[in-house]
Amino acid sequence: MKAFQQNLQKLEAADTQVLGVSMDSAFANKAFADSIGVTFPLLSDWGGDITRQYGVYLDKYKAPRRINFLIGKDGKILELQLDNAAIDPTKIVDACERKKLNR
Amino acid sequence: MKRKFVLTVLGVGLLVAAMLSPRLSQQLRAESNPPASMKLKVGDPAPDFKLQYFDGNDLKDVSLSQYQGKKNVVLAFYIFAFTDG
Repeated sequence: MKAFQQNLQKLEAADTQVLGVSMDSAFANKAFADSIGVTFPLLSDWGGDITRQYGVYLDKYKAPRRINFLIGKDGKILELQLDNAAIDPTKIVDACERKKLNR
Repeated sequence: MKRKFVLTVLGVGLLVAAMLSPRLSQQLRAESNPPASMKLKVGDPAPDFKLQYFDGNDLKDVSLSQYQGKKNVVLAFYIFAFTDG
């Protein structure tokens, strides 16, 4: 999440809203956001309905796996990044900036 | 005696060939790496959602559809609060 915060200006400049999602409570997420200086919303999927709907629930952790979805303005998935690859947002930033140029 | 030797060599050869065959090695790889069987793939419509976050004063609703036609959205799932990544 910190890596997204560092790239937030670039992403916002490319018309992109960043949303974190976990199965923590909204209040735990707010405390987490404050502790690491994240200013974008960290959404609470309490119970995990959305996590399951996106097919990213891991039984082993009783939690979502680390994954980024880049969703275009048309609501379709443009990019997927899994696990360790999901921690580095460079590719997402590039994709957003590319899309902006191509428009 | 010689014939038995030839048969043994042939047998071992076949066994090695079977072990190295691409299909089998693929199977072995699949077992050592849990498949990244993703329900959604690039190009699929992202399921709409409505979730909440706490902005310090109130719980705020956020839905995917509110950004449609306006912004791209990065949905970054993470395992737990207070972990890295």
